[in-house]
Amino acid sequence: MQRRTLFAAAAATLMLIAATGASAQTKLRVFAGGSGQRPDLMRKLFDQYQAKNPGVTVEMETGGATSELQRQYLSTVLNAKDPAIDVYMIDIVNPAQYYGAGWLEPLDAYLGNAATALKPYLPVYASANVVQGKLAAMPAFADAMFMYYRKDLLEKYKLAEPKTWDELTAAAKKIQAGEGNANLQGLSIQGAPIEGAVCTFLLPYWSQGKEFNDASGKLTLDKPAAAKGLQTWLDMVDAGVIKKNVAEVKTPDTVNEFKAGQVVFAVNWGFAWDRFQQDKDSKIQGKVGVMPLPAMAGGKSATCVGGWQWAVSAFSKSKAESAKLVKFLASPEAGKFLAVEGSLLPTVAATYADADVVKAVPWFKDAGTVVVAGRSRPMSRDYGQVSDAIRTTTSAVLARTKKPEEGVGEIESRLRRVMR
Amino acid sequence: MFEKLKDPGEKTLAFLLLAPAFILLALIVVYPIGKLIWNSFFDLRLSGEAAKFVGFENYALALQDPDFWNATKNTLLITVITVPGALVVGLGLAMLANLPFRRRWPVRLALLLPWALPLAFVGLIFAWFFHTEFGVVNDVLRRLFGLEPTMWLLSPKLAFTAICLAIIWKTSSFMALILLAGLQMIPKSQYEAAEVDGASKWQQFWQITIPMLMPSIIVALIFRTITALQTFDIPVTMTHGGPGNSTQTLAMLIHATTIDYLDVGYGSTLAVLMFLISLVVTGFYLKRIGGNA
Repeated sequence: MQRRTLFAAAAATLMLIAATGASAQTKLRVFAGGSGQRPDLMRKLFDQYQAKNPGVTVEMETGGATSELQRQYLSTVLNAKDPAIDVYMIDIVNPAQYYGAGWLEPLDAYLGNAATALKPYLPVYASANVVQGKLAAMPAFADAMFMYYRKDLLEKYKLAEPKTWDELTAAAKKIQAGEGNANLQGLSIQGAPIEGAVCTFLLPYWSQGKEFNDASGKLTLDKPAAAKGLQTWLDMVDAGVIKKNVAEVKTPDTVNEFKAGQVVFAVNWGFAWDRFQQDKDSKIQGKVGVMPLPAMAGGKSATCVGGWQWAVSAFSKSKAESAKLVKFLASPEAGKFLAVEGSLLPTVAATYADADVVKAVPWFKDAGTVVVAGRSRPMSRDYGQVSDAIRTTTSAVLARTKKPEEGVGEIESRLRRVMR
Repeated sequence: MFEKLKDPGEKTLAFLLLAPAFILLALIVVYPIGKLIWNSFFDLRLSGEAAKFVGFENYALALQDPDFWNATKNTLLITVITVPGALVVGLGLAMLANLPFRRRWPVRLALLLPWALPLAFVGLIFAWFFHTEFGVVNDVLRRLFGLEPTMWLLSPKLAFTAICLAIIWKTSSFMALILLAGLQMIPKSQYEAAEVDGASKWQQFWQITIPMLMPSIIVALIFRTITALQTFDIPVTMTHGGPGNSTQTLAMLIHATTIDYLDVGYGSTLAVLMFLISLVVTGFYLKRIGGNA
């Protein structure tokens, strides 16, 4: 009797194993960035996909607080031709580099040619994901640098939104003097040698109507204009508008200090809005305004575009299934979900005007124009080197270990070899 | 053939027994080093076209590269400052721990703790210590002397000093451990005899402790120097080589070149050069002190 039960149990187990094997589960492993890329929401998207595609399980892997750390991690995995990761998320500046290294599978064969597949997307994302005519990756969500400000303080001192950096300096000084709070910073920008400092360098440079590179990627640095741009920040430090240790400030520092009510104007990415308005420890909920970045006097506002892309690993063992997942993750529906749930900026133009999106995040109506006018950082297959040269030098100039002219000369001599 | 294996001669047996270890070493040591040297003769960028043989061009490039010399200078400077620094602090700690405490374990634990902490962790802790606004160093200076906050990690000289302090703190406990073991091997009778002969504590230190401790000191110095030449974690986490590249070490430059820039050929060249520098320094040690010990 006992033996029989045992037999039955064994048979049942065997059948169960056979059944699981027979359904041929495809397991896809996805690297979904760090906390800034909202893995919590990405997981929900994966769950939605699993529900629609019962044969697929999506495993998620996260890590790396900054774009550089994520790049280092992926470099290690992909350099080793490791097939463990099927799909990964990369920064907007990276498709050219990953394509050049042969780490990503061009998606033309799965999703159609670049022109058709990227038609619904904003121009800057459509162009960033095409390398040498091939569809290198698909947009996940957009981002851009915005100017956040304390609406309540500007109203209190009857100040209009500043249009130039000079106007901003004047406005900030007036508020700082009026509030009489020694810890109140006028403006917070990122000066630590991180990816954000590349934008800190480019913003005042671009807004003088200058280009960093031409269409073919060749360096076209206007040295006096670049030095003038860096000098703008130093002047604001001298005026007490930017704090003295700006060369230590990273993106999260700006977010946290603005949230604590210690900053009047803050330059930061679009994702910060959600943090200012939703975080429980935010002291400034409902007091935040957002506007395009000011320009240099006589110039035109320019912003740095960011954002994340989904790519399929060249070493994946299930490329077709991976491409299918990427198609879903880049779809307008997924973009809408991310916009409504996490106020992540959409990459599809139509989503900005979507009724549900406008209801959930009213400022997206105006954000669309900022993103469209945004410019992307230099596209280069040697972007790691380009970024390093710009951010290290910018930080050193802001730490006052180098004069702006020296720093700009150094950037030029370092990049002449890689950007030719 | 198999007949022979059944009853191998002594030589064959020795060879057979050594073979697994030899193969393993060849796979994990000889092959990577060989490949590294091989790569250093190529223009090999993962971001670009196929590898191109360039002979000694990478080496010529490195010798003219101001970044290479800057990193070499920083690495050697860190070695010259932190190795003796850690020796002095470590010796002090070891002698302290060797005192006849009633309870020994709290002292030993305090001695072990810095050694047990991961390097990156130490770097992050010290980065916070020296932070301009939130750092404890500036806070103490302000409370005691009313000083304005110093931007430690934003000035090349101060940042370098801060990094050296962190390294000395971290590594002196390893020094102390080795030296403590050495101290405990010195027979008490020697001190008693010196006492009888009327030697002062100072004389006892120079005439007994230091000479008896010499073998331990040399071992500790060699270990410490080799790791000092490879300094990476603490400067990366404290300053990331900044401001500018004023605190970048050779290991950091190699990491940036290969991992961030994907320039494997040039990165390999830098690694070979670093290997040569380590070789020269270690050789110097073995020749100068190794002979005496």
